[in-house]
Amino acid sequence: MLKMTHLQKVYRTHLIETYALRDFSINVAEGEFVAVTGPSGSGKTTFLNIAGLLEEFTGGSYLLDGVDVHGLDDNGRSRLRNEKIGFIFQGFNLIPDLNLFDNVDVPLRYRGYGAAERKRRIEEALGRVGLSSRMKHYPSELSGGQQQRVAIARALAGSPRLLLADEPTGNLDSLMARGVMELLEEINGQGTTIVMVTHDPELAARAQRNVHVIDGQVTDFDAEASLRQSSSAAAADTAIA
Amino acid sequence: MEIRPILSALMRSKVSMILIGLQVALTLAIVCNALFIIHERLQRMDRPSGMNEADTFIISSTGFGQGFDVKSSQQADLALLRSLPGVADATSAITVPMSQSGWSTGVSLKPNQTTDTASTALYLVDAHGLSAYGVQLVEGRDFKPEEVQFKTFNERVVPTSVIVTRALAQRLFPDGDALGKQVYYDNEGPASTIIGIVERLQTPWLDSDFIDNSTLAPVLFPYGNATRYVVRAEPGRRDEVIKVVEQKLQEANPSRILSKVRTLEQVRAEGYANDRAMAIILGAVIFALLAITALGIVGMASFWVAQRTRQIGTRRALGATRFDILRYFQLENFIITSIGLVVGGVLAYALSLWLMSAFQAPRLPWHYVPVGFLCLWTLGQLAVLGPALRASRVPPAVATRSV
Repeated sequence: MLKMTHLQKVYRTHLIETYALRDFSINVAEGEFVAVTGPSGSGKTTFLNIAGLLEEFTGGSYLLDGVDVHGLDDNGRSRLRNEKIGFIFQGFNLIPDLNLFDNVDVPLRYRGYGAAERKRRIEEALGRVGLSSRMKHYPSELSGGQQQRVAIARALAGSPRLLLADEPTGNLDSLMARGVMELLEEINGQGTTIVMVTHDPELAARAQRNVHVIDGQVTDFDAEASLRQSSSAAAADTAIA
Repeated sequence: MEIRPILSALMRSKVSMILIGLQVALTLAIVCNALFIIHERLQRMDRPSGMNEADTFIISSTGFGQGFDVKSSQQADLALLRSLPGVADATSAITVPMSQSGWSTGVSLKPNQTTDTASTALYLVDAHGLSAYGVQLVEGRDFKPEEVQFKTFNERVVPTSVIVTRALAQRLFPDGDALGKQVYYDNEGPASTIIGIVERLQTPWLDSDFIDNSTLAPVLFPYGNATRYVVRAEPGRRDEVIKVVEQKLQEANPSRILSKVRTLEQVRAEGYANDRAMAIILGAVIFALLAITALGIVGMASFWVAQRTRQIGTRRALGATRFDILRYFQLENFIITSIGLVVGGVLAYALSLWLMSAFQAPRLPWHYVPVGFLCLWTLGQLAVLGPALRASRVPPAVATRSV
């Protein structure tokens, strides 16, 4: 689903070069629930931004669902992002002037769905997160946990293949955080790949696999092993063919 | 199209929408009416006087001294003027179009008629009058030298033959058979016969409601010791002729005072000075209003872009292309402007009705408002383009940045 090989992200000024990601390799298989952990400034958010096509990288390669994203222009990246990826942000990022229905509608409009299809998807997504009765409410009328549920509904409405979550429980108390985490596990159980950036070890422990990032590099043995395993499998496939 | 969600989002922040909408509405109402007034003024300023304005000028002469004889002086001056190289023709005149001063009288179809049939300006000229003024005779004939009377200040002026403008002829004789008919400029008579009709010769009064009604009468009438001459130069020689005329008239009578040498173009400019000033002031008001409205839109849109940077980044993260963001802001402005324009359209007609009742202004033609709509839509779209382009350049990574 998501394969980064020797990825590099360098921020350059006329004085210095700062490596946000260095020789960063990771392979996330379809249906996996991966937690990316690491201290502040380790490169977690840069990884998430690049994985979500929000930022470009400066070296290496990145295949998203088999698509090499390196050569894509801005429109191509927007389209791919809209079709394949659902985002869950730490601050929910709901649009305060739109009600829940219209908030969930935002990515669907960019997809170009007709009104009936959008309505069906919005009702289904909000129903999935238990908020179908509050479609006409505005974000400010909801609790933090409910707002994050709306954000999850917005991410799910377009049926993404990959869900990227950036500290999804970072702004929630423990009770609400647990509820959101259970929802993410349920979504993953239904087949959606989830990559979650978090600094909470308890949350990370609930993922199927942990990837630890320090100084812009993956230090988790399992992740590298997974990448090697994936490469071997690909080589075997080629030999059989 | 995102019209409904944009509209419902705008309804949540009504103050900004109302402020911009109101500004657009007032701008439309004022601009439409101001443009119409300017158009009216320009049309007014563009009315032809009927004279050859490009080649003609006027000059006044006042004689002094015990031996000064205005009649012989006038005859000598006219003979001198007509003999000068570059002079096409000259006549004496007490009335000049657009000069705002002159003679007028009533004209009737019968003697002792209680109400005049028409009002008319009176041009007292000699047999060179039509040629000197450069007016176009369309029917009948010009005055003959023997028809010209010389009158002094205290004598009644009752011409036996007159030439009238087509507008006056039509007013007096709507059937179009004015030529040869008799009319009365004095209740007690005698009658004057219409011997010719000229295409056009405006009265001197620009606000007159009978501006196209003029009568030319074959009378030389000095105003005391003062005489005004109308001189038409040969095409393209007006300015050189003015210098020669001034010099020769002064040489002919060194004790006279020559004054008020003005080309007809200057007379026109002076006559329409208020109209021109009004058009310029209203033009400046329109420009200022449009600039303020455009700046208001730019300011408000820039504020919204800055305020919604995270929101724009989120939209980009959710799949919006740069064009989607650009279109969002353009569409938002279009909606606000349209609401303002609908209100402004009603205001424009209401303002027109008020101007009609308060100042007897003509009704605002209906097409000014739709044209105003197009102009303000365009203005709004251009004004919001800069902020919208800035918004479209907000990177999607903004969505994940901490506040």
